[in-house]
Amino acid sequence: MDITNLPIRKINTLFSKKELKPSELYSQIFDNAANSEASLHAHLTLFEDENIKKAKESDSRFDSGTAESLLDGIPIAIKDNINIKGYKTTCSSKMLSNYTSPYDATVIKKLKESQTLFTGKTNLDEFAMGSSTENSAFGLTRNPWNTDFVPGGSSGGSAASVGARSSIAALGSDTGGSIRQPASFCGLVGFKPTYGTVSRYGLIAFASSLDQIGPITKTVDDSRIIFSAISGDDPRDATSIVNNQVDIPSGKSAKIGVIKELMEDGISDEAKNEVNKVTEILKSNGYEVKEISIPIIELAISIYYLIAPAECSANLARFDGVRYGLRVDGNTSYEMMENTRAEGFGKEVKRRILLGTYALSAGYYDEYYGKALQARKEMIDEFTKAFDEVDYLISPTTPTQAFKAGEKTSNPLEMYMSDLCTIPANLAGLPAISIPTGITNENLPLGVQVMSRALSDHSLLNFSEIIEKEIQFNQQPKGWV
Amino acid sequence: MSKDFDIKNIAKLASINLSEDEQKELDNDLSIILEHVKALSDLKLDTEQKEIFIHPLEKELELQEDKLVESLTHEEALSNAPKSKDGKFVVPPSME
Repeated sequence: MDITNLPIRKINTLFSKKELKPSELYSQIFDNAANSEASLHAHLTLFEDENIKKAKESDSRFDSGTAESLLDGIPIAIKDNINIKGYKTTCSSKMLSNYTSPYDATVIKKLKESQTLFTGKTNLDEFAMGSSTENSAFGLTRNPWNTDFVPGGSSGGSAASVGARSSIAALGSDTGGSIRQPASFCGLVGFKPTYGTVSRYGLIAFASSLDQIGPITKTVDDSRIIFSAISGDDPRDATSIVNNQVDIPSGKSAKIGVIKELMEDGISDEAKNEVNKVTEILKSNGYEVKEISIPIIELAISIYYLIAPAECSANLARFDGVRYGLRVDGNTSYEMMENTRAEGFGKEVKRRILLGTYALSAGYYDEYYGKALQARKEMIDEFTKAFDEVDYLISPTTPTQAFKAGEKTSNPLEMYMSDLCTIPANLAGLPAISIPTGITNENLPLGVQVMSRALSDHSLLNFSEIIEKEIQFNQQPKGWV
Repeated sequence: MSKDFDIKNIAKLASINLSEDEQKELDNDLSIILEHVKALSDLKLDTEQKEIFIHPLEKELELQEDKLVESLTHEEALSNAPKSKDGKFVVPPSME
């Protein structure tokens, strides 16, 4: 039995029955990481030595029957834009290559309280800006299913780590699809919770009205367990909300909508086939499935690429060489800032800062940013209308399977298009999940996305679990364990 | 929507020193992206009825209680500073 392939609840049962020790699982996880790291480069830092003691403490809690948390002794990898006190948080940027976190993010504090074991920090597109993990200042991550291909991004390191079983689960962040798209490309579950249900305190901000932390896991239940552990309002994040969940039906009385605009041109036949496969199964199980039109989705990329860069240009103004991170000297403070930002930021980050600066600049604000905000409100209204008719919305997670490394790096717009299906949930603040459903002709996994109304995360997870059970994906990349 | 922008001016506003090659490349990239987002200008909205978006779930900001909470110590706050002295950040002069 491959213990690193087991879901969290099963591992916890083995720990409780004393058939497996957390320290044994921990060392197996690091054997796997040793096997794959040179080929995949999923991690920027691995924490093996310093956490052996913690794994032994977990052993003792299970020995004495005092372990209380389902996550006690579970090895979890953390995206390197989330602060863990005493460790580097680089955001895969030269700007922060020497930054050591002086505090824990709220999600880290909560996982520590759950006695989780951290395995390391995972690679990402610089400051979470990208869809392939090729924008890392420390080298790209590769897809564990086929190393010629990208793992997706920006949480590509987290997805590759779980995919290669170098961690049991991972945390990522999702601003326009950065959890769901890599999960789809790596044959995993990726869950972006309702905006505000998980505190962003300690997540290095990219676009604050869109950023959300969430899990990348092998099963829907694993995502549920982690979401339950990390959610809750937080006085340190003014946008966080009390996680008052609403119940919507997940059984056969649930009504399902397929988003018309995400089943048209620009979406590959393979991606459409995965959606059709799922809806056929649901229909044969007695679910009502119908097509739903959300016309403004056709403008999602335009809205997103004004709002996200605008917020990014404001958030990344803090990297000025004064308080933390890189400093490149200059004769005056201004010269120092200009030189620091020239040297510290990579190409994609500069591109987005400049785009956002322009969209917010005097004379253009109403034309660009103001218009995008109005369109965003329109998108929320159109989703609200859709959820008057159906309970869940299904679409592909990604327009295509994973693409090859280098394939989309020359044209930024082409790269942006790979987030077409995932961006709407961020703009509307909705919970959304990618579930692995099939394998393409090139032997790469593909997923299907399900969305539901705000604060129905647990119902969404319940419904997704029904799809998961029907589909029986049960596949993993070969050669790493 | 207008396409007129001056990449040098935007870089100045963003405090990023760009090389000639970068200016050329980013000028081209921004033109492509702005051309794409032009689609938004064709969107007809009843703007009088559409209030500006602030929080996806329309959460209103609340005042916090006026009480002391744990935060970084002075030393921790300075621990990542490129240059500090006597408990303060050190920067080059603002004017030459």
